[in-house]
Amino acid sequence: MLPNFAYIRARTKQEALNNLGSEGAHVHAGGTDILGCARAEVFEVEKIVSISRLEELRGITRSSDGSLRIGALTTISEIAQSPLVQESYPGLAQAAGDVASPQLRNQGTLGGNLCQRPRCWYFRGDFHCAKKGGDLCYAVEGENRYHAILGGDPCYIVHPSDTAPMLVALGAEIHISGAAGSRSMPLQDFFVLPDQDLSRENLLEPGEIVTEVLLPGASGIKSSYRKIRERGAWDFALVSVALAVRMNGSTIAEARLVLGGVAPVPWRAEAAERALIGKQPSPSVAADAAAAAVAGAQPLEQNAYKVLLAKGAILESLLAL
Amino acid sequence: MTEARYYERGPIPETPEPKQRQDHWTATKVVGQALPRVDAYQRLSGAAIYPSDVNLPEMLYGAVLRCPHAHAKVQSLDTTAAEQMPGVRAILTAESPGTDIPWQPESEGPASVLFDSVCRFEGEAVAAVAAATPYQAHDALRTIRVVYDVLPAVSNPQAALEPGAPKVHPDGNSSGEPSTYERGDVNAGFDAADAVVEETFAVPFLLHTPLEPHGCVARWEGDKLTLWESTQGVYNVQSQTAAALDLPLSHVRVIGHYVGGGFGSKLAIGKYTLIAALLAKQTAKPVKVFLSREETLLCVGNRPGGTMRLKAGAKRDGSLTALEFEALGSGGAYSPYGTGLFDWQIRDLYNCSNVRTKGQSAYINAGEERPMRAPGHPQGSWALEQILDALAEKLGLDPLELRLRNLTTVSQARGGIPYTSTGFKECLEEGARAFGWAAARARPAADGALVRGVGMGGCTWIAGAGGPPSTAIVKYFADGSVNLNMGASDIGTGTKTVMAMVVAEELGVPLERIQIEHADTGTTEFATASGGSKTVPTESPAVRAAALDCKEQLLVMAAADLETPVGDLQLHEGEVFSSRDSSKRMAVKEISQFQRRRTVVGIGYRGPNPEGKATCPFAAQFCEVEVDKLTGEVRVLRFLGAHDSGRVMSRLTYDNQVYGGIVMGIGFGLMERRVLDEKQTGKMVNRNWHDYKIPTAMDVPAAIESLPIEIQDLECNTTGAKGLGEPVTIPTAAAIANAVYHATGVRVTEAPINPTRLLELLAAHDQRRA
Repeated sequence: MLPNFAYIRARTKQEALNNLGSEGAHVHAGGTDILGCARAEVFEVEKIVSISRLEELRGITRSSDGSLRIGALTTISEIAQSPLVQESYPGLAQAAGDVASPQLRNQGTLGGNLCQRPRCWYFRGDFHCAKKGGDLCYAVEGENRYHAILGGDPCYIVHPSDTAPMLVALGAEIHISGAAGSRSMPLQDFFVLPDQDLSRENLLEPGEIVTEVLLPGASGIKSSYRKIRERGAWDFALVSVALAVRMNGSTIAEARLVLGGVAPVPWRAEAAERALIGKQPSPSVAADAAAAAVAGAQPLEQNAYKVLLAKGAILESLLAL
Repeated sequence: MTEARYYERGPIPETPEPKQRQDHWTATKVVGQALPRVDAYQRLSGAAIYPSDVNLPEMLYGAVLRCPHAHAKVQSLDTTAAEQMPGVRAILTAESPGTDIPWQPESEGPASVLFDSVCRFEGEAVAAVAAATPYQAHDALRTIRVVYDVLPAVSNPQAALEPGAPKVHPDGNSSGEPSTYERGDVNAGFDAADAVVEETFAVPFLLHTPLEPHGCVARWEGDKLTLWESTQGVYNVQSQTAAALDLPLSHVRVIGHYVGGGFGSKLAIGKYTLIAALLAKQTAKPVKVFLSREETLLCVGNRPGGTMRLKAGAKRDGSLTALEFEALGSGGAYSPYGTGLFDWQIRDLYNCSNVRTKGQSAYINAGEERPMRAPGHPQGSWALEQILDALAEKLGLDPLELRLRNLTTVSQARGGIPYTSTGFKECLEEGARAFGWAAARARPAADGALVRGVGMGGCTWIAGAGGPPSTAIVKYFADGSVNLNMGASDIGTGTKTVMAMVVAEELGVPLERIQIEHADTGTTEFATASGGSKTVPTESPAVRAAALDCKEQLLVMAAADLETPVGDLQLHEGEVFSSRDSSKRMAVKEISQFQRRRTVVGIGYRGPNPEGKATCPFAAQFCEVEVDKLTGEVRVLRFLGAHDSGRVMSRLTYDNQVYGGIVMGIGFGLMERRVLDEKQTGKMVNRNWHDYKIPTAMDVPAAIESLPIEIQDLECNTTGAKGLGEPVTIPTAAAIANAVYHATGVRVTEAPINPTRLLELLAAHDQRRA
């Protein structure tokens, strides 16, 4: 059962921002997860501020310089089905299409997908874990098959988003608005590891909202997204691989490889990228890159398979180039 | 412990012999057809009123406060604040008068009370509230202050039996002496074997997840109680509630016209039933108590998991010489049947003179098990069907061939009495032919990352004969329309449709002119609960007998008008005619005696099963999988279920059972497992539908084929039907495991099979080969 909370459906962005500053206020966009969190008492919900009416935050537009603007309220379905996205950023169309289930994709938004809270069953469940102000990350000694193998300490959540790794691989920039004004940053820098700040997963301050994501032009970029999960729908990635490369003839000129499901943030595998750049794709180059990507992995008791899985999925993605 | 416990959980009295001699159907006009369900429109349009849809005037909402710890003692409980909350009408705790009701889920298991001060599993009921709205009830629960003394918990049967383990009950954690079975000389059998294989297997605890949660609406009128309960058996609810509340059966009316799934978890009442009744009594208002999904996953059902060791020996020709099986499981905190029927496949399915089995069950701090679609059978099948494949490989035999060399026509586990029919051989042979087994098996292995394999498994099911008691009533109205009155629940399997087809077969009345009244202890006749794959073989002979009784009475009346021997007369589509003299015919509604009487009432009883024989369904299932060796993903490409369940009574509901059972088995094989926080709190971490993964449409192949093996069984009962609902899910997961082995060379002995397990096994396998 839901606890009591106030509900405000803002008419303007400013009204939303004014209302979001208070303690216990949460933004509502697609609403696919906030009510579940409230019901399960994952965090205090005093006030829900809906931005769903803010049409200016919706839609996909291409600029003359070839870049693509995706409003934060654009639904995941719209991204998956957008001809602009499918044509220039097939990896993003794939990632969006792999999110959750058709109903959730129709309702869920890009901003929500990027800012969703982790799915760790201790965090979501009836456990006073470190992320919720307790003393303990239960995953360290507990049921940790779905937890982080990279960047975990002191909290072993994994970032649940499918679109985030792909957008990081594509070099996206995120735009944020708050009462004090607007700011933007590379999406990669938006996410924070638990050792930087245990209580949150990104740099969004209370009272701020994501307004849009900007993708640079994709001329000459090949992108792909490969998600491995236990169940074919409504399941988060055990591991996912977002890959964006630019070829120069038969040589890899640029490469960005970002892993989902393995770390508390979309995990950019820079060592793997270095192993690719300047090389011609081949099974041995792919194997070297895959090994480099997980070189620093520190699996917990039940999730060593993620090392093998990440390697396998990277190999598969690279061999498909 | 009787077999019936697993599908019945209630006493089984006898009913009288049916009056009519009933010839076996040779050709049928309606029975066996693929006809839409009689209640399809109601179910699909939302017009059907499920118990959870029942809303009564002035109805209150009950909610249950549950222990958040796996093991704890209630030190104190303060409801002062809750009593002041808006809308609150009643609060029940262990201190409330009338709540000291004994609660003993299993007669051989430990006893408890409705609100036990020691909570032995997460989710145990501690208190309850009735309020004007569900939100007020839950808000009130939040204000009840409980001080718990949190006790150490134990979460798996191995740990539970170790010395020094936290004690679930004062006497310890063993659920009693192991259950054992032995025939022949097992040691001699292994000595005589040319090949012996042995393996340890493990299966997880699975959770029941029926679409409609458990619950009921309770209403008192004076000292009479009416319950609308989501149940598989209204008479079980009636007798158990009457006993708990010390009421005469006549004062407890239970209505369960629709039920949104049960899978065995709704054969018995829950504490919620009594809580609703007590809250309704105290407030003098109807009270609705329906559990949340989380509550159902914690409290009202699971299928025992555990470990199994199985050793099998065979001669060079494939004939089995010995089987030795040992299992360790748990029925949770209160059921001693943690390994119940795990060994049945091993004991009964394949011909083997020397068999020894042992099952040890331990109490753990988790919810009590409830029967789940083929109790014990899929677990044992997971071991048996895999060990047979391993044995076949060692002997250089095809897995199918090994099974064909170990057939039997007697029930070895029942002392060697014959089956009334067995189509197991046909299931194996015709199933393999339709599946294209030989060609698929012979296909050369692919050398890329994507590899394919095929696997199969066979099974029997302990029950599926059905049997007395059952009483059914058929009323034939003046206009030729018919009312069928029976106590059985239709748990979504199509019972109503099948029974209407039986009536239509005998009385020549179209289905749309048959009205069905069922699953109401106030207005229908006694029936056992719908479970154990026994509803069709139990009820269809009773319904047929009632229809025949009705027909016989009409023909006797017509014979007087037509002045012809009754033996010459037949009834079809509202007309009576003589098979000898075509001039002798009349419309039923013109029968003079019938015109005066307006209604003819036929009564039918379920006769006894044949003595000294066993009636069981059999099956073989075949599947093809694709494994991505780089990622460990397993995709089921196609499935075929060849099932001998006697006569196909209704082709659509028959196929539905096959599809549904295979889907459920895919869940067991590929993704489902209850996860307890074993090393820390003992609490369930995946108590929701996101984290407890059941298959979606994306996980199930479009290519599932149902191949009925229709063996005529002239002895089992008067319709020739055997049970189907359970065998359809018994060998499914094992067939997948065998297919994965065929594809990869890796035998996955612990379910489920997915990347979280398979990748490391594949890597170890590659290392061994390198």
